[in-house]
Amino acid sequence: MAISRSTYGTRRLAIVLLACLLIALFLLPSQSQRLLQYVGGPLGQILSVPLAAFSSIDQGISETWNGYLALQSVHEENRQLRRDMEFLKGQNNQLRESVTATQRYEALLNFKQQSPSQTLAAQVIGRDATNWYRGMILNKGENDGVRAEMGVVTPAGVVGRIVKTNSTSSVVLLVTDPNNAIAGVVQRTRDEGIVEGTSHGRARLKYIPLLSSVQAGDRVVTSGLTGAFPRGLAIGGLTQVEKSEGDLFQSAEIEPEVDLSKLDEVLIITAPYEDADAAQKLLQEIHGDRKKS
Amino acid sequence: MKFLIYLLLALVVVPFQTTLLHYVSLFGVRPDLGLVAACLVGFLGGELDGLILGLLLGCFQDMLSAGDLWINVVTKGGGGFLAGLAGRHMAHMTPAVLTAGLAIISCLSSVVFLYSMNPAGIDEVWMGVRSTVLVQAGFDAMVGAGLYLLFRQRWSDDRMVTEGAL
Repeated sequence: MAISRSTYGTRRLAIVLLACLLIALFLLPSQSQRLLQYVGGPLGQILSVPLAAFSSIDQGISETWNGYLALQSVHEENRQLRRDMEFLKGQNNQLRESVTATQRYEALLNFKQQSPSQTLAAQVIGRDATNWYRGMILNKGENDGVRAEMGVVTPAGVVGRIVKTNSTSSVVLLVTDPNNAIAGVVQRTRDEGIVEGTSHGRARLKYIPLLSSVQAGDRVVTSGLTGAFPRGLAIGGLTQVEKSEGDLFQSAEIEPEVDLSKLDEVLIITAPYEDADAAQKLLQEIHGDRKKS
Repeated sequence: MKFLIYLLLALVVVPFQTTLLHYVSLFGVRPDLGLVAACLVGFLGGELDGLILGLLLGCFQDMLSAGDLWINVVTKGGGGFLAGLAGRHMAHMTPAVLTAGLAIISCLSSVVFLYSMNPAGIDEVWMGVRSTVLVQAGFDAMVGAGLYLLFRQRWSDDRMVTEGAL
């Protein structure tokens, strides 16, 4: 009887302590963030083992499904063609961007001096653990040099940015998530804005100047003003421009260039410019030119 | 021992949720297996068990989600705790009661997520409720009831043994 009472007391104490912890986590989110980040390191190592196992099961299931049930050769061919298309899309976009830049003014010819970004290939091994964020889990983490705020792309365009890392994996917040914001520029008119996700699974270019002549069909690329992405990576095409009376800015809906539901491999931009100092200098020159004009 | 079992359960449920569960999504919404597991254990095992499992599951889910690091810990831990409280005050657990309880806790959990995302206006809140909160609540309740029916016999035996010991 005495043993049972003491067990009951310990149980109660544990419940009270854990409930207090829960309340503290809820009321002090920023402090608890630090604590959880600290705890998360070793837990991430443990979690990586079953995650890799389940990921290979997932891969096995999709390969069996696509390979045997949906015809082996057609799937392989389709995969190759999709890869080629993505590559050509990316190449095409780079060419368009170069042409527009050349036509605009001489200073932007420095694009040619820009070194290609340093990237790291990663595999998509899972989706966000909740239904509330549009995110993906990659199989590269801090051990591979991946850090938060790095950009994630495919040859076709922007995918999102890294928001969380642990030793062996990282979480990408997709460009279509409302919590994401990327500096973008309309390729034709050079109007800058902020690309944010929408609750409908698309993206929106906000803060376009009211007098801008943007129209549906215009392409939006990264402006290079934020650290994660170099200049000129495709984000998507404008599908609808909205201009409400009394508003200070226009906004436009974007159809993302990359099909985010069918991603297997991505590239993490570990350094947007190979020579960071040169890039900084280039940006300063461009800003200087703008101020003068 | 129980803690180890819960740790193992969390290590299976969370990777399963992130890698394989997209095959069974409904309108793009997947059931939250973490919440379902925490609530079931809470209903049947008590507040402490629900709370411990919820905290573990939440911690792992937060590491594999783009949201803030506290949000899953709080919602899953709170869900397990609430389920434990509810379970303690119920003489007979039936699938219908469990389904309703799970749906309510799922809705409460989703409301915390909605609040944390700072919705711009009532339209966005309504959109979130229609597209995610209600679908997920229904899905969670269905999955929970299914699991309960599947393992009912074993759980009721365990409960009788535990109650007999006390």
